[in-house]
Amino acid sequence: MYVGTDLARAPLGTHLTLLDSPAPESVCQRLSSLGLRVGTRFSLLQKTAGGGRVALVNGSRIALGADLLGQLRAEVAR
Amino acid sequence: MATAEQQRPRVLDLLVPAPSVKACCHSGGGVGGGPEAPVVALVGAPNTGKSTLFNALTGARVTMGNWPGTTVEVSRGLWKTTTAAATCTCDECTCDDAEQRLDITLVDLPGAYSLDPHSPDEELTRQLLVGVPDDERPDLCVVACDASRLANSLYLVAQLRERRLPILVALTMVDVAAKRGITVDPATLSQALGCPVVAIDPRRRAGLEALAAAVRDGLGGPAPAPRPVPSTTDQLELDDDRFGWIAGAVAAGTSAPAEHARTFSDTVDRWVTAPVLGPLIFLGVMWLVFQITTAVAAPLQDLLDGLFAGPVSDGATWLLGSLGLGGSWVEGLVVDGLIAGVGMLLTFVPLMTLMFVLLALLEDSGYLARAAVVTDRLMRAIGLPGRAFLPLIVGFGCNVPAISATRILPSARQRVLTALLVPFTSCTARLTVFVMLGSVFFGPYAGTAVFAMYVVSIHLVVLAGLVLRRTLWRTMGTDPLIIDLPAYQVPTLRLTASVTWVRLKGFLQTASGIIVATVCAVWLFQSIPTQPGQAFGEVPVAQSAYGVAAQAITPVFAPAGFAQWQTTSALVVGFVAKEAVVSSWAQTYALEEPSGADPGSLGERVRSDFDASSGGHPVPAALAFMVFLLAYTPCVATLAAQWREIGPKWTLFGVAMQLATAWLLAVAVFQVGRLFW
Repeated sequence: MYVGTDLARAPLGTHLTLLDSPAPESVCQRLSSLGLRVGTRFSLLQKTAGGGRVALVNGSRIALGADLLGQLRAEVAR
Repeated sequence: MATAEQQRPRVLDLLVPAPSVKACCHSGGGVGGGPEAPVVALVGAPNTGKSTLFNALTGARVTMGNWPGTTVEVSRGLWKTTTAAATCTCDECTCDDAEQRLDITLVDLPGAYSLDPHSPDEELTRQLLVGVPDDERPDLCVVACDASRLANSLYLVAQLRERRLPILVALTMVDVAAKRGITVDPATLSQALGCPVVAIDPRRRAGLEALAAAVRDGLGGPAPAPRPVPSTTDQLELDDDRFGWIAGAVAAGTSAPAEHARTFSDTVDRWVTAPVLGPLIFLGVMWLVFQITTAVAAPLQDLLDGLFAGPVSDGATWLLGSLGLGGSWVEGLVVDGLIAGVGMLLTFVPLMTLMFVLLALLEDSGYLARAAVVTDRLMRAIGLPGRAFLPLIVGFGCNVPAISATRILPSARQRVLTALLVPFTSCTARLTVFVMLGSVFFGPYAGTAVFAMYVVSIHLVVLAGLVLRRTLWRTMGTDPLIIDLPAYQVPTLRLTASVTWVRLKGFLQTASGIIVATVCAVWLFQSIPTQPGQAFGEVPVAQSAYGVAAQAITPVFAPAGFAQWQTTSALVVGFVAKEAVVSSWAQTYALEEPSGADPGSLGERVRSDFDASSGGHPVPAALAFMVFLLAYTPCVATLAAQWREIGPKWTLFGVAMQLATAWLLAVAVFQVGRLFW
C-alpha cells in the first residue's frame, strides 16, 4: 500500500487521491484548471519519455513532466 | 498561416462596440460583419475545436490543429447566418422574405483554460472578455467545450457565469465522448449551467445551423443573471464552489461509465510516448515525412521545370519577338527575370503541398501534442518547457508564425530565448534549396541528405539553447511540463485540405509579393553597368552592379569552399527570402550565357561552380553551403516578426549570432569534409 507518496513513485493504473502540492502557485492553478486539485481522484496511466507520467483526470489525459512529479503527493484512493 | 484579419494583441479595441442586433441582411463586408454587426467571441480551452469551428462558420481560415496553442493571435471573420423565421430590424430592409440573413462578426480568441492568465495569450483573452468596458465586450460568448472531458472544459464556463455575460456552450467532440460511453443531454446540461447548450461537430460541419439559431436567440435576449458565488476572496474557497458547481452540472447532464476504459488513444500512447520507443518513433516519423516529400515531389518538379524552361519561356520569347521586343531589355525582364525566377519557384509547389499535407495530418491526428511530451527532456536541457516545442515545430513549416507562437510561453525570458532559437529550425523555404542541392550532389541519397539537414537543425537549436542558457539566461527558471493530450482522431479530408491550402496560399502569396519584387530587383542590378561604354540591360552579369557587389564579399566564403560570386549573391537574395535562392541562381545563370549557347541544366552549372570554388571538393562545399543556409537569417519576414515580439535589441543580437554560427559551421564542415571527399 502506497500512502502519501510522490507521483514519481506512485503505482500506475491505481486510483489515487491528490493530497497536497508544494509546487508554485501558478503551477497549482494550472493543474487546478485542468481538474487536478487537492482531493481529486485520478490515476497514472503510463511513464513517458523524459521520466514523466500521463495522468487520467476526469476523462482527460494530462502529461506531467518529471520535475513536477516529485512536487505532487498522493495516496491510494480508498 | 492565418489569412483572416490578424489583430495585434495590444489593440484592445478590436471588438467593435455593437450592443444592438439591429443589422440588415445586406450590411457588412470585408472581414467581419461591419460596424453594425453583432460581435460574437469564440472562447474555450485549448484544443476543444474552437479554431475548427471558426473556420467552419466563417470560411476565413485560421490555422487549425489537434494540439494546444494553435490560435496565437485574435482572428476575426464574417459569419453569415440565415433563417427563414428571422425578423430584420433595420428601417429600410430589402431582404428576401424567404431567407433573411444576419451577418455576425466572429472573433476567435486564444485558447484559455480559465480567466486566470498564465501567458500573454490567455491575458489577452481575459482582457477582451472581462477587462474592457461593458460596451466594448462581445455581444455573446460561445464557449467551446469538449464533451469527452466536460468537467475540464467547464471551469472557464463557471468563471464566465459569475459575471453578467451572455454565453452559449457549444459542445464539441461528442463523437469521441460517445466512443468512451459518455452521453450528454444538452437540454439538462443547459438547465444546470443556466445558459443554452448546443451539440455540434465542427470537423464534419454538423449542428452549425442549430448553433446559428441559438446564437441569434441569444443575441436578442438579455444576459442571464450571474450565478451566485460565496462572498470571499479566498481562492481555495472559490475553487471549491466552482468545482462543486461543475460536478453538479456534469452529474445532471451526462452519464458515463463508472470506470474509464482504456481507449484507443491510451493504447497508441503506450508506444508513442514510451521512454525509449517514443523518441525513436518521433525521429522515424520525421524521417518518413521528409523521405516521402522528396521522393514523391521530385518527378513532379522535373515535369514543371521542363514546362517553364521550355514551352513557357519559348512562348514568351516568340510573343515578345512578334511584338517587336525581341532582344530588348523587356525580353530580358520577362524571360530571364520573371519566368526564370518565379517559374522556377513555382516548380516547388508540389513539394510544398506534400510537406503541408503531411504536417496537417500530424497536427490533426493529435500526434504533435505527443511530440511535445517526447521532446520535453530535450527542451528542459536548454531551460525551456515542453510547450516551447510547439513554436519550434511550427518553425519547421514557417518561422514567421512560429515567432508569433512563442506567446504561448508564460515567461518573457522564455519567449525571447525561444524566438532566438526558432530561426535555426529549417523552414520549408529552405527545403527547396536542400532538395535541389541534394539531387545535384547526392543523387539517390538526396532524401537522406535533406533529412540530415533537419537533424543538424535540431542539434543547432539544442546547442544554441545550451550556450545561451549557460550564459545570458543563467538565472532563468523553468516551468514543469503540463500538457493536455487530445484524443487521437482520424484526420478529415476537408480539414487537411483546408490547412494545406491556407499554407500553400501563404507560400504563393510570398512568391507573388516579396519574390517577384526580389527577382525584379536582382534583374535591375544585373542590368546596371559598372564600366563605361556599356548600355543598360546589355552588360555581362559579372560586370554588372550585382556581380561586382557579390564579388566584393565573395572572399569571405573562401574558407567554406563556396567562394563563387553567383552563390554569394544568391545568399544575399536569400536574406530577403529563402524561396528566392534557387530562382536567383536560375536568373543569374540564364543571363550569364551568351545568346544561343546551351546553358546546361541549373544543377550542372551549380555543380561546376562548386567544383571550381572548392578546389575539387564539391560535396563538402555543398554541405557547407547547406549548413550556412540553414543557420543564417531565414528571411526579412522572420526579422519583422522578431522585431515585433522581442524588440530590436534581441533581433539584431539574433542576426549577429546566426551569421557567426553559420559561417563558423560552414567553415568547419568544409575543412573537415575535404579530408574525406
